[in-house]
Amino acid sequence: MIKTAEVVIIGGGISGSSIAYNLAKKGVKNIVLLEKAYLSSGATGRCGAGIRQQWGTEMNCRIAKLSCDFFERANEELDYEEDIEFKQEGYLLLSSTDKEHQQFIKNVELQNSLGIPSKLLTLEEAKEIVPFLNTEGLVSATYCEKDGHLNPFHATQAYANAAERLGVKIYKFTEVTGILIEQGKIRGVKTTKGNIATNIVVNAAGGYAQLIGKMVKLDLPLYSERHQILVTEPMETILKPMVMSFSLNMYCQQVPHGGVIMGRGDENEPRDFRITSSWQFLDEMTTTVTKLLPPLKNARLLRQWGGLYNMTPDRQPIYGAVDEIEGFYLAVGYSGHGLMFGPATGLLMAEIILQEECTIPIDMLHLNRFRKGELIFEPSVV
Amino acid sequence: MVLKCTGIPTNEDLERVFPSKERLEKGPIVVVECFQRIPCNPCHTACSKNAIKEFDDINNLPVVEEDVCNGCGLCVSKCPGLAIMVVDMTYSEKEAILKIPYEFLPLPEEGELVLGLDREGKAVDKVRVVKVLNTKAMDKTPVLFIAVKKEDIKRVRNIKLQEKEKKFQTACCSDLIEKNSKLSKDTVICRCSDVTLEQIRGLIKKGYTTFDEIKRISRVGMGPCQSRNCGQLVLREISQMTGTPISKLMLGTYRPTTKSIKLGEIAEAVDGGEHND
Amino acid sequence: MKNVELMVIGGGPAGLCAAIKAAELGVSVLLVERDRWLGGQLVKQTHMFFGSEKQHAATRGIDIAKLLIDKIEAMENIEVIKNATVLGIYEDGIITIEGEGKYQKIKPKAVIVATGASEKTLAFPKNDLPGIYGAGAVQTLMNVYGVKPGQRVLMVGAGNIGLIVTYQLMQAGVHVEAIIEGAPKIGGYLVHASKIRRMGVPIYTSYTVKEAEGENDLEEVTIWRLDEGWNPIPGTEIRLDVDVICVSVGLTPLSELLWQAGCKMQFVTALGGFVPIRDEEMQTSVKGIFVAGDVAGVEEASSAMVEGQLAGLSAASYLGYTVYNIKEIKQDLLHQLQALRSGPVGEKIRQGISEIIASKEVAAAAEGL
Repeated sequence: MIKTAEVVIIGGGISGSSIAYNLAKKGVKNIVLLEKAYLSSGATGRCGAGIRQQWGTEMNCRIAKLSCDFFERANEELDYEEDIEFKQEGYLLLSSTDKEHQQFIKNVELQNSLGIPSKLLTLEEAKEIVPFLNTEGLVSATYCEKDGHLNPFHATQAYANAAERLGVKIYKFTEVTGILIEQGKIRGVKTTKGNIATNIVVNAAGGYAQLIGKMVKLDLPLYSERHQILVTEPMETILKPMVMSFSLNMYCQQVPHGGVIMGRGDENEPRDFRITSSWQFLDEMTTTVTKLLPPLKNARLLRQWGGLYNMTPDRQPIYGAVDEIEGFYLAVGYSGHGLMFGPATGLLMAEIILQEECTIPIDMLHLNRFRKGELIFEPSVV
Repeated sequence: MVLKCTGIPTNEDLERVFPSKERLEKGPIVVVECFQRIPCNPCHTACSKNAIKEFDDINNLPVVEEDVCNGCGLCVSKCPGLAIMVVDMTYSEKEAILKIPYEFLPLPEEGELVLGLDREGKAVDKVRVVKVLNTKAMDKTPVLFIAVKKEDIKRVRNIKLQEKEKKFQTACCSDLIEKNSKLSKDTVICRCSDVTLEQIRGLIKKGYTTFDEIKRISRVGMGPCQSRNCGQLVLREISQMTGTPISKLMLGTYRPTTKSIKLGEIAEAVDGGEHND
Repeated sequence: MKNVELMVIGGGPAGLCAAIKAAELGVSVLLVERDRWLGGQLVKQTHMFFGSEKQHAATRGIDIAKLLIDKIEAMENIEVIKNATVLGIYEDGIITIEGEGKYQKIKPKAVIVATGASEKTLAFPKNDLPGIYGAGAVQTLMNVYGVKPGQRVLMVGAGNIGLIVTYQLMQAGVHVEAIIEGAPKIGGYLVHASKIRRMGVPIYTSYTVKEAEGENDLEEVTIWRLDEGWNPIPGTEIRLDVDVICVSVGLTPLSELLWQAGCKMQFVTALGGFVPIRDEEMQTSVKGIFVAGDVAGVEEASSAMVEGQLAGLSAASYLGYTVYNIKEIKQDLLHQLQALRSGPVGEKIRQGISEIIASKEVAAAAEGL
């Protein structure tokens, strides 16, 4: 294994791979990416893989749009020989209360002002997109046809391959066991396959980011929460867009392969590193989805699995340097949106590390916001 | 040992278990063609005379007390391996009786002439069925008494009712070798997601060296069989191409559910008063 | 949610014996079987069993099934759910099952997993053509449903299953062209092989399938010889005119429920694949989860039945039930297993089991259910 590096990135998910690629593209040499298992083995490969731009704050809208635009041209830009399978079949968001409806109106206005082609829909219009939608208890919907989903394994691999072509060294099955600091400065990382001397470490460890933080005695305001998903056997295409409801706390989408993927948030989920499955999830998920989308009663459950949301108190990511440790950077705490923010994460983190001006102003996403009590409110999260 | 490759006892093997000429001439006696140490002892249990001695170790080969065995044949239909027959050289001047187990339908008629077969299934000579024993105690393993020429007692071990020999078709075809390159393309490893051996090998070459990686990138093992069919095949390929022993490789995670179930069925059980305490 | 004392998963030889033994000691047992009838593979076994009287030697498998099922039905503390599949064992010990359109949750105090094994498959070109079966499927078709799989069969594999199914095919009036075996020696009992040979069926050792041919279904197959390193030798091809290939290349433990439950697993070639680490009394690394039969390592049904009794006894003991001579019963069962495995044929099994028997320390560190 290599002995010294300019930058060591910890985590081989979409974020780490994207950061590696963007740094290399900007000319940084000697970049090392460390992954304790295989690429996209963590949250990236376990998520619902939705890509949406319909957010409620300007910053999130811009991050999401930048990312979505990139995914549209990712196969070409990353020169990927296969396909990241980005399909833009839209996101249909449902509101269940008048308060939510009012928020949707504001959101669409904001999104449109930023060039995101979302629309506010009546329930009748929503039924034109999903004819079997049970609108009982719903108020309105918004729809953005440019939203969609992709194959997270291929997306990560596309970044990784492109990064490797630019000289990035990727070590799979290599776990970081410690971080070396001298006088408040990063000096290297210890791994299961040897030590690497470096002055810059990027923590992009997803669900395990707080553990990396502990290695530099940093108590990051993060916790990992299990989220679960199920997939059905492939069936005839009946559902084009991702259907999502914040009130019902669920999302559901049929992927090109024909299987229907669905997941939900649950405050009772364990906040440890468990990624096992629970029968309670099946009970709750099937009850909700068969009420909202009745034909899915006949879809056959194939498999369920769990993954980790890396949560922050305001459910917004933490981007940036850490004041007290020179050379230690954070790209953590996506709270469930790491994949869809992946391209922006890579670009913005590269800009931060190289001290360039950020394409999107993201100062407020710095770790210090929690120290100052300046939390961000995003109304549109499952 | 030739028997291990062919399944056919050699003459030497037979000589070891055949009684002496002197003993044969005295009257009926069993021939136990049991050449392999396996855990089995019903022949002893079946024998009312204790002529097949008790086994110290259940894996031992049976030992016949030649002076005690009277050739009653009780053990013939009790041997799970159908390895026992009785030879009676005193039947007539020219013919001996073989009592052999026979589990095929239709059973021959008494008096019927049938084809005697050797231990490789090859025809020896016509033989006559003298008696067909099929009692309830025999539990569907009837015993045929067949009259064979005395010189054939070590050859005949089976019969066939009618002549309908089907030739074993063989043809060498070296032209097939050229198709060798397409072999891996046509070989399906994952039936659920239609993934071929060629694709799997391609992925391993690209550096995907764990089952989980191959699963995620190709969908192997993600279908309804949950890798029950493809799992070990993929591990074997990885092992062969990377030189890692299979015992050091891991399968993907097995997740619920073991078989598919309608979402509506789960939801109904919740609505239907399934109390989750 | 249904509360039960002991749940036995699988109504084959191991599961039936486990349920009976535990119930004999007073345990309330729920036995769940995927098929519509109990007996597992026993119901397809028309041949007589090996072993000794204690394991019903010289009785046909199907009749052993009847004996065991009669016992089960006579016991009031055994509830049987047939035609139901266990879907998952969850982190909190809850087990979900589905059968006849009904989804249920079971909360057992202890579990015996006796799910048996599944057939291994073989990779060769066009191995997905109709007419290519696993030996188990052929046996089910013939012996359970009375359906012939085809007219002319190539049997792949000369282990006991390959030999037995060949014999049964011939009993059903199906022509078997040949048996091929990749290894240089016949793997099954030689008495079975001799039975087949005297019916005139050739056994080709060191041969494997090169490829299958056919438009919509299997029309012919080409086999070729393997050298000592298991590499095929070009020029040794033989083309066979068959409409059925019966693949019988071994079994592998059906252990996914044990994986789900978090049991420590290990790959042991001699036992057919991934098997659970367990103690001598059949308890896995997860406290309260026991195993018996092929899922604990592929072996003969005779051993499965004894292991079942042992697991039943251990689970009963774990649940606080006992009987005055429990030690003697256990010793006798262990002795039977030892006898069944003591010969040369059992050598691989003995070696394999020695790799997975957990030390006392591992057992002590076992997690709670």
